[in-house]
Amino acid sequence: MNWLKKQLSKELWSPYMAGALLGIVGILTVILAHALLGASGGFENVAGYIGKAIDPKNVYFNYIMPTGITYSVVLLIGIFFGGMLGALSSGTFKFRRMDDQQWKKAYGKQTWKRWLLLFLGGIVLEYAAGIAGGCTSGLAISGGMLLAPAAFLFIGGMFASGIVTALIVYGKKY
Amino acid sequence: MSLTTILLALILGILFGFALNKAGLTRYTKIVNQFRFKDMSVLKFMMTALVVSMLGLYPLRAMGLITFPSVPETYVVGNVVGGLIFGVGMALAGFCPGTAAAGAGEGKLDYLIPGMLGFLTGAVLFGLTYSSIMPQIKKIADLGPVVIPDLWNLNSFLTVAVFALMALALFYAIDRMGLQRGEKKSK
Repeated sequence: MNWLKKQLSKELWSPYMAGALLGIVGILTVILAHALLGASGGFENVAGYIGKAIDPKNVYFNYIMPTGITYSVVLLIGIFFGGMLGALSSGTFKFRRMDDQQWKKAYGKQTWKRWLLLFLGGIVLEYAAGIAGGCTSGLAISGGMLLAPAAFLFIGGMFASGIVTALIVYGKKY
Repeated sequence: MSLTTILLALILGILFGFALNKAGLTRYTKIVNQFRFKDMSVLKFMMTALVVSMLGLYPLRAMGLITFPSVPETYVVGNVVGGLIFGVGMALAGFCPGTAAAGAGEGKLDYLIPGMLGFLTGAVLFGLTYSSIMPQIKKIADLGPVVIPDLWNLNSFLTVAVFALMALALFYAIDRMGLQRGEKKSK
């Protein structure tokens, strides 16, 4: 019991241990919900409200990706509270506008810069997930655990361009 | 959606977000340093999750206890191009949709406000442009919702075992053979 308490209050776990937990959750998701884990799909379900307001006859939001508070949206809300629970358990929950030291070294200290880049980054990530058929959660992890080729094609692309992008951003400091 | 489904999705999501938090993947530094090979947490976390899941799921499928739900579709060009664009966003911003949601829950207002608004905007843009780009992209090298052992007619246990061994070899290379690079001393 004490061991468990100690683990729960730790800020960081070994990535192997956290990964094993995610693996078990992945199995449970298939058995209990007959579904997969994911994140980008939930944003699409909510975005449908805006998309259909702009274009009521839109094919995607009417026929392909249903609009509404779906399983994916509830899952996304769960992820939010899971992050909160994790932070509360280690006493690291705190409202903050930006806190990453390495980010400040790479891009500067201005908050607006980070907020702008996260907004633009969010657009790029979600659009790319749409093209690929999922994001790191729904495609790379959920597809990977089923051994779907799509997952590994996606992971390969993601690492290739991620490495090049980090090289450009960090330059000599890479 | 039944109440059971809602509760189940909520609990599964909470466990997922909790794992992301404990692995530290809700931090810009952890994500970008994976692409710099200075912190291998992302790869270790993902590969462990994949191996543990497939070791459970493939035997359950062989016993006829489960079928694989909504297998992601393989359409080679779209999967790769999507991944290429995704990697740029991930290395620049240091998050992805899942880690951003978990990070927002930790009180990170930059994840909660511009992050979530960005994802929503991206999703609206994708939906509105879907018809003009996706049908063509999906047609190229389209294999459908398939998994590797079925596609290539391989023994599924052997495939899982080989994958697990490859993951172990990767972990060995990271932890014992110095695949991870050291942090340069800053001037």
